[in-house]
Order: sequence, then structure tokens, then C-alpha cells
Amino acid sequence: VSCSMAGEEDFLLEEKRFKQYCEDFVKHSQQIGDGWEWRTSKDLGDGYLSKTHFQVRNRHIPPDLEEKNNDNAEQMLFAHVEEPLDDSEAAGVRSTEEVVRYEYHVLFSSSYQVPVLYFRACCLDGRPLTLDEIWGSVHASYQARLQEGPWDTITQQEHPILGQPFFVLHPCRTNEFISAVLRGSQEHHRHTNYITLWLSTVGPVVGLNLPLSYAKLAPEQSRDTDVA
Amino acid sequence: MTDDKDVLRDVWFGRIPTCFTLYQDEITEREAEPYYLLLPRISYLTLVTDKVKKHFQKVMRQEEVSEIWFEYEGTPLKWHYPIGLLFDLHASNTALPWSITVHFKNFPEKDLLHCHSKDVIEAHFMACIKEADALKHKSQVINEMQKKDHKQLWMGLQNDKFEQFWAINRKLMEYPPEDNGFRYIPFRIYQATTERPFIQKLFRPIASGGQLHTLGDLLKDACPSAISPEDGEQKTQVMIHGIEPMLETPIQWLSEHMSYPDNFLHISIIPRPTD
Repeated sequence: VSCSMAGEEDFLLEEKRFKQYCEDFVKHSQQIGDGWEWRTSKDLGDGYLSKTHFQVRNRHIPPDLEEKNNDNAEQMLFAHVEEPLDDSEAAGVRSTEEVVRYEYHVLFSSSYQVPVLYFRACCLDGRPLTLDEIWGSVHASYQARLQEGPWDTITQQEHPILGQPFFVLHPCRTNEFISAVLRGSQEHHRHTNYITLWLSTVGPVVGLNLPLSYAKLAPEQSRDTDVA
Repeated sequence: MTDDKDVLRDVWFGRIPTCFTLYQDEITEREAEPYYLLLPRISYLTLVTDKVKKHFQKVMRQEEVSEIWFEYEGTPLKWHYPIGLLFDLHASNTALPWSITVHFKNFPEKDLLHCHSKDVIEAHFMACIKEADALKHKSQVINEMQKKDHKQLWMGLQNDKFEQFWAINRKLMEYPPEDNGFRYIPFRIYQATTERPFIQKLFRPIASGGQLHTLGDLLKDACPSAISPEDGEQKTQVMIHGIEPMLETPIQWLSEHMSYPDNFLHISIIPRPTD
């Protein structure tokens, strides 16, 4: 039974559909070298999208990063490491560089029939970052988004496949905003990858960005027939 | 049936005699005596161990005390799992009292969620209830309730008030007269031997022909290794609240009567003891 789009009904994402969208998403990611991969669990064959990246973080966060246009906003998500200070500049200024490993996983919630974003960050020595520390490097304007977004909170939860603590963006109102946007895109016969749409909205709030080329991602011909 | 109500009470009032011992490497000013406590099966470790914390902090210096955490035979105990589940999963076939080791240092960040306040426990508990209702009623019943009803569920659990809790929880156990049960059953199956913390999937309590699905049907679908006998002998036990329900039990009945207060059936698959 495929997703129903009639009238007021929510756009319900089935797990099979979710996997298909993820497959298309990973294909595009591979084309542009964006680092996403699909991980299948050995025991039950379910899986999740995964991306790991390393960021050099300057503890001393530079003041007001100017708001640039969207393309450059990607670079602005994290405070940049400045050029190493020479001795004359270094006096009185204390900053430490550290390499932080960020991990993002997209899992499917069968209970809510929506994707859920799990994330965590740690230093190279394994010390996990607290939510405050992760927040500290997200640009202020994205922090403000959290207040208005279709999610309730970020909490620490157990990863349902790995069993380890991750931070999670609550999926409670995902359906609301996704349904509204997808209804619009269907009416204009624009083919939208659910994952692209969803991740481009929730991702930046937690320091994850999608290059704009994902927007051109169209599901393959065979997918469209289900949606009609 | 009066018998069914008794089951609700037996589940609620189940207790596990426990002995808490301070980890030997913790720095104390004098010897720490073990602390004995009857733990409610349906509650959470960090919700019911204030006295344990106070007892051990009395012999420690302030600076040696960080976030408390518990461990059993080297395994950090997940406070966000109900106590009864932790016991069934890790220690059910061992001698009582349950011996738990208390730590105040070196919090295992890779294994345990932090629990800085009771609010964290409440948030977790309510999130489980909401997820259970998403499965049972597409969230209709929980969303129709007022905030004070949600609060009453939590207060009932926190203060061990059976009647107070069930005055609200009974609504979460109802279903439309035209149906014969919930939409899907909220359940999780745990095995200590797997990396995956639990198995959870969509499962309907009523088959398309109208028959009631059983516990055996659920296991066959979600965890077939739990019931397929190897060498003609059942190597595992299927345990809920310290007992092995018959596999023929209708899963709808189990969901209504043997769920934990979070409205989930937490099922342990453990090695069968070889006497």
C-alpha cells in the first residue's frame, strides 16, 4: 500500500519508501563526494544513513559571523579556525584548536513513520562533546531556528541500533511541515526526495548542511507511479 | 474479571531485594556499609535511589562525588530501562539479593545516558508513553488528554500511587468498540548478547481473519531465534516481569495487563538455566 496523498491526510512515509529515498540520496552524495553512506545492520537487515566529518574547531569563537547568502552559509555554520597567531598577536589571546568528529545518522521511526536525526560529536581522544559544546559552534541564526522549528527538543537518547548515547531531534511535528511542503510540490509535479527536503530543513539546526545540488535530485521513474 | 485487576496490582507492586555496594576504588573517609533496598520493578534506578546516594555520600568528600551510576558484574546499568527489565535481563537466575555496585566517578559516556535531574526521567517516561500511544491509537488518546493528566501519570509512578496512575492509564488501554484491540502493540525485545539494544517493529494484535495474535506469534515474527528449539531443546526463556507467560497468551491481553507504566511490553530473552 503506497502513501496516500488525498486531502488533509498526512504524507505517510513507509519504511520501504524511506529506504528508496535514502538509496537515491546516497547515490547523489557519492557523485558529489558529500560523504553519506547507508549502513545495514548485520542481524536484522534494517539500516540507516550515516555521515561522519571532522571539523577543526577553534575554542575561541570569533565574534559576529556575517550572514552571507545560502551557498556560503555552509561554511559559516561552524566557527572557522583563524590563521595561527604569531607571537605579537598571541599575547593576551588564548585559543585552542581541536579536531572534533561529528557523526550524523538518519534512522526510520516505525512508531511515528518519519525519519529521525541522531547526532553526536567527540574529540579525537574519545571525549564526547556535551550538547552545549556542540551548540557553541552552531551559528546564532540557526540556533534561533530551533525555537521556531517543527520539533520539540533535543535530548540524549539511546541509538536504537548501536545502543550508544546520541543526541536526537524529536520528530513530533515532522509530519506537519513535511506534508504541507510535499503537497505543494506534488501539485506542481515537482519530484521531491523526502530525505532531501527533510534533512535540508532540520540539518542546519544541528550543524549539518546539504549542498544545493541535492535539490535537483529527482526520484527515478519507477517511483513516480506509486505516488500518482 | 477480578483476576485481571489482580494482575495489574501484582505487576505494579513487584519488588526486587537489592544490595548496593560502593565501588572499592571510590575514595572514602571511612568504611562504606552496603545499603539494602527493595526496588520497584516498574520504576527507574535514578528515581528510587536518593537514599542510596545520600548513604554513600555521607562517607565521601564532596569533591569525590560526581554523577552517580550503577553497574552489575561489570555492566553499566541503563537507568532509562525499568528496573524489572534490568533484573530479568541480567540477573534473574542468580541468588537474591541483587548485588549492584555504586559509582560516583568515571561516568561511562559511551554506554549511559546522563540523568542530571528528575526532569530527565520524567521526559523520558512521557516520551515512551507518547510513542506507545502513537502505536496503539495514532496518538489520539494521549493528545486528547490535558497536561494535568500527563502529570498525573508521572506523579503516580514517582509516588508509587497505583490508583492515581491507573485513573488515567485506563484510557490508554481502551480501544474503539468496532476494533478488537490496539492498532499496533508497543513492545521491545531485549537480549543481553546482542549489540542491538532491542528489537521493535510494527505488530498487529489481531490477524486479518479476526483471530487474536499470541505472544508466540509476536516472537516468531520479531525474534524467531527466541522460540525455535535447537537440538529439540528450548535454550532460552521468554521473561516479562519475572515470569514466563505461556506462548499461547493473546498479545492484546499481555499489552493491557503486563505492560510497564510506560505502556510498553519489555520482553527479555535470556539463557535457560541448566540445573
